[in-house]
Amino acid sequence: MIVPDSVYGAVILSIIDFTLSVVMITGIGFVLALFPLLNRLGKLDDEKIKKGSH
Amino acid sequence: MFEQVLGFLQAMADQTGVAHFWWGNVVMIAIGCAMILLAIVKKYEPLLLVGIGFACVISNVPGSDLILPGGLFNYAYHGIELLVIPPLIFFGVGAMTDFGPMIAHPKLVILGALAHLGIFISLIGAKMLGFSINEAGAIGIIGGADGPMAVFVCVKLAPHLLPQVAVAAYSYMALMPLIQPPVIKLLTSREERLIRMKQMRPVSRLEKIAFPIVIGIVVNLFFPPVAPLITMLMLGNLFKECLVTERLYKTAANDLMNVIIIILTVGIGSTMNAEKFLTVKTIEIIVLGLIAFLGGTASGVIGAKIMNLFLKEGNKINPCLGSAGIASVPIAARVAHIVAAKEDRENLLIYHAMGPNLAGVFGTAISGGIMLALLGVK
Repeated sequence: MIVPDSVYGAVILSIIDFTLSVVMITGIGFVLALFPLLNRLGKLDDEKIKKGSH
Repeated sequence: MFEQVLGFLQAMADQTGVAHFWWGNVVMIAIGCAMILLAIVKKYEPLLLVGIGFACVISNVPGSDLILPGGLFNYAYHGIELLVIPPLIFFGVGAMTDFGPMIAHPKLVILGALAHLGIFISLIGAKMLGFSINEAGAIGIIGGADGPMAVFVCVKLAPHLLPQVAVAAYSYMALMPLIQPPVIKLLTSREERLIRMKQMRPVSRLEKIAFPIVIGIVVNLFFPPVAPLITMLMLGNLFKECLVTERLYKTAANDLMNVIIIILTVGIGSTMNAEKFLTVKTIEIIVLGLIAFLGGTASGVIGAKIMNLFLKEGNKINPCLGSAGIASVPIAARVAHIVAAKEDRENLLIYHAMGPNLAGVFGTAISGGIMLALLGVK
């Protein structure tokens, strides 16, 4: 166990976890903000994709 | 002769459940019936509450073979305990979900983390009540309002608390239409609830196909402890979005999901036996779970209000959306929409609320993953 089994440990765990969660999810938000750039690669036609299915 | 007959009758009575019936069973049967009643009369998540409520009733009738080793409900519970069911639920949810709102509005994704402060409030609360740090973590994750994730983290941290944690998580998720609106109304003004969101940009097929692949890589890279759930969520979603596996995605989203819900609900309900359930610890966990839900809802709304301080007029977000960041897809999104719609019936917030709501799933997974890593659990 990395975090001590005490109230102090619970507080430390909470602070680190919450902060990292915010940072990580912000990172995911940044990645998603870049998604429109994918559209520069071209456009996928739904009908054409479906026609190719088996 | 008379004594012999009495003896036979006594032996027969001992073999029935009647002899082992006690007031605790009556209380739990009443709770089970209340769940079924809420589902039927109030329409509170009937897909969850009917199965949980019925299994709760049956598991409190002494002598029921279904909950004993070898019984069907017992096997259902093992499916949850062995972490077979939670990833399959995520698989079905992925196949049912359009992540477009989350991709289209990345700014709202942060609400998926801000609405999880409740996890840590109840974690610290649980530790103060004398639970071990692992138990406190398992109790705290109830505040993620994500049933499969709560089960997953609980099994890893404190498997002996699984019945209480699972029941608290799923019951509160079902009762969110009761829990969340008072908190949202308390923390927002009418003017704030009237804020209309700008229309979102359309999300292309390419983006929707790339999303599960990118997230699958990111989650397995950074959060291996919780990767099985999110990976299955993404697989289900890829089946849906790639358009060439229609049969598979429809099976995952409908038939398979229905089977899994039946197994999940009877598995959870079957753990609500009075002898195990009616304890002070259970009451503490139920109360801490409620605090986690209230705290998460409040922190999400406050988080949205703080975001508004930095946004220009016209770009401000409706703070009701913050409450949707608590996960519990799509219940929390629906609640946020309903609260806003009560002020303005034409304010269609549901699509916007799905963004933070879906981000909440990732927020809970990330919180759970970090928690498992910090507690040294693989």
